[in-house]
Amino acid sequence: MKRLRRFLHTPEAIAGAFILALLLVMALTAPLFFPGDPQAIAGPALLPPFQDWSLPLGTDRLGRDVLAELFHGARTSLAVGLAAAAAALLIGAVVGTLAGFAGGLVDEALMRITDAFQTVPSFLLALAFVSIIGPSLGVVVAAIALSAWTGPARVARAEVLSIRERDCVAGARVIGMHPLEIAFREVLPNALPPVLALSSVIVAAAILTEAALSFLGLGDPNRVTWGGMIAEGRAVLRTAPLLSIVPGVALMLTVLGVYLAGEGVVESTAVRRSLS
Amino acid sequence: MSVLAVTNLTKRYHRGGKPFAAVDEVSFDVGPAETLALAGPSGSGKSTIARLVLRLIEPDAGRIDFEGANFLALSGAALRARRARLQMVFQDPLAAFNPRATVARVLDDPLRIHGIAPRSERPHRIAALLERVGLDTGLAARAIHEISGGQRQRVAIARAIATRPSLIVLDEAVSALDVSVRGQILELLLDLQRQERIAYLFISHDLGVIRAVADRVVILDAGRIAESGDARAVIADPQSAVGKALVAAMPKLIRNRP
Repeated sequence: MKRLRRFLHTPEAIAGAFILALLLVMALTAPLFFPGDPQAIAGPALLPPFQDWSLPLGTDRLGRDVLAELFHGARTSLAVGLAAAAAALLIGAVVGTLAGFAGGLVDEALMRITDAFQTVPSFLLALAFVSIIGPSLGVVVAAIALSAWTGPARVARAEVLSIRERDCVAGARVIGMHPLEIAFREVLPNALPPVLALSSVIVAAAILTEAALSFLGLGDPNRVTWGGMIAEGRAVLRTAPLLSIVPGVALMLTVLGVYLAGEGVVESTAVRRSLS
Repeated sequence: MSVLAVTNLTKRYHRGGKPFAAVDEVSFDVGPAETLALAGPSGSGKSTIARLVLRLIEPDAGRIDFEGANFLALSGAALRARRARLQMVFQDPLAAFNPRATVARVLDDPLRIHGIAPRSERPHRIAALLERVGLDTGLAARAIHEISGGQRQRVAIARAIATRPSLIVLDEAVSALDVSVRGQILELLLDLQRQERIAYLFISHDLGVIRAVADRVVILDAGRIAESGDARAVIADPQSAVGKALVAAMPKLIRNRP
């Protein structure tokens, strides 16, 4: 409770939390408000918004309900963003911990691999990965995680380098603990806070990357995505600009919300650290 | 036969490009149930010796024999298994434990790692260890950062004796404690030594404490042994310049102690 109040200390954090909460509600209630296939035809094509109250945001080029697509798109964006960020943080934390704790050749090898991934433009990497394996939600998540794990790996390694010199690691060695157990049970949990601080940036980037892949037609074709909606609307940009603007604004607000909420979390933990 | 025999131990570091010996050809031994104190000013190499003896860092030269076998020849699983017999208590018990751990976990680890007790039996063992060091068994569920410094150092001692070691290295183990708690911890250590026949390598800069607990003392200066001998005799009449300086720095209250 106290932590939550400290988190909601700044107006930015409140705005971020509000946007994220709204997004979450949209994602969770999508099958409730809009049961059935959001990609099914619901009315006449290119119905403008606010004309028919059973289709509040109108329909797109094929007569699909824009509001239903928006709700179901929130599901995809959120699922892909969170899953990709979780995977990237997991890979990064494990690689960074192994590199920092083992040192020597293992460190060199792992960090050169990290360098290699970091020098390839991340979007290009995701694009290549999806075009080779084929577009499905799992592959998109893997592709985004593959290009986002290097940041967490570097941060985790730097943190582990300082933690491994602490007495608690010496103490664990003295009682005969296996090095792998020391790395993942004693060191990694204590190295996590600065790594987790990266999560908002990674989630935001993952949502944008997913949208960009969908815009290029490399998203999962069986799911509604905001990127795909923007791409659909592009053909009628002059006559029905709202078809691109609505999902575009949703995308922008989501990324903004994730950033703001992330800032709020970092701020509130920074306060706690300086107090203790 | 001695529990620990250290022969010509040497550790060099580079400081500003020039090599210097933090520990320079140091030899000593510790007998069963004996307390050998390592004394010396800051930077004299006493903590480096502690870390060398525990194989937390590797020496550049010299030999360490523990319980009659070459301790430096061990590696991997054999070394980890041997560590059960050679334990350490650190100066700052808060830094020496995982800050997220509970008292029970800290004591459970050595019992689990060395297969001393099956899982179902370990809570009883942990309670027994806590009682052995004079702590309430209810403390087991508490987090390490929730208990007092004196209690924490008692937990550290409980963890050290959990694997029934023959030698415990105490690196400034009572230096960070306030005077009343320090006395209780020293009494606990002496009591454990009498009952379990544990030898101590007692590292301290405080000759008052050393005179109270140690049988013999080795005084170090800049990585070399300046003098050594019976603790009381050396402290009563130091021969080396470092020894005289350390004795001169003792608080005068010490005179009232036995």
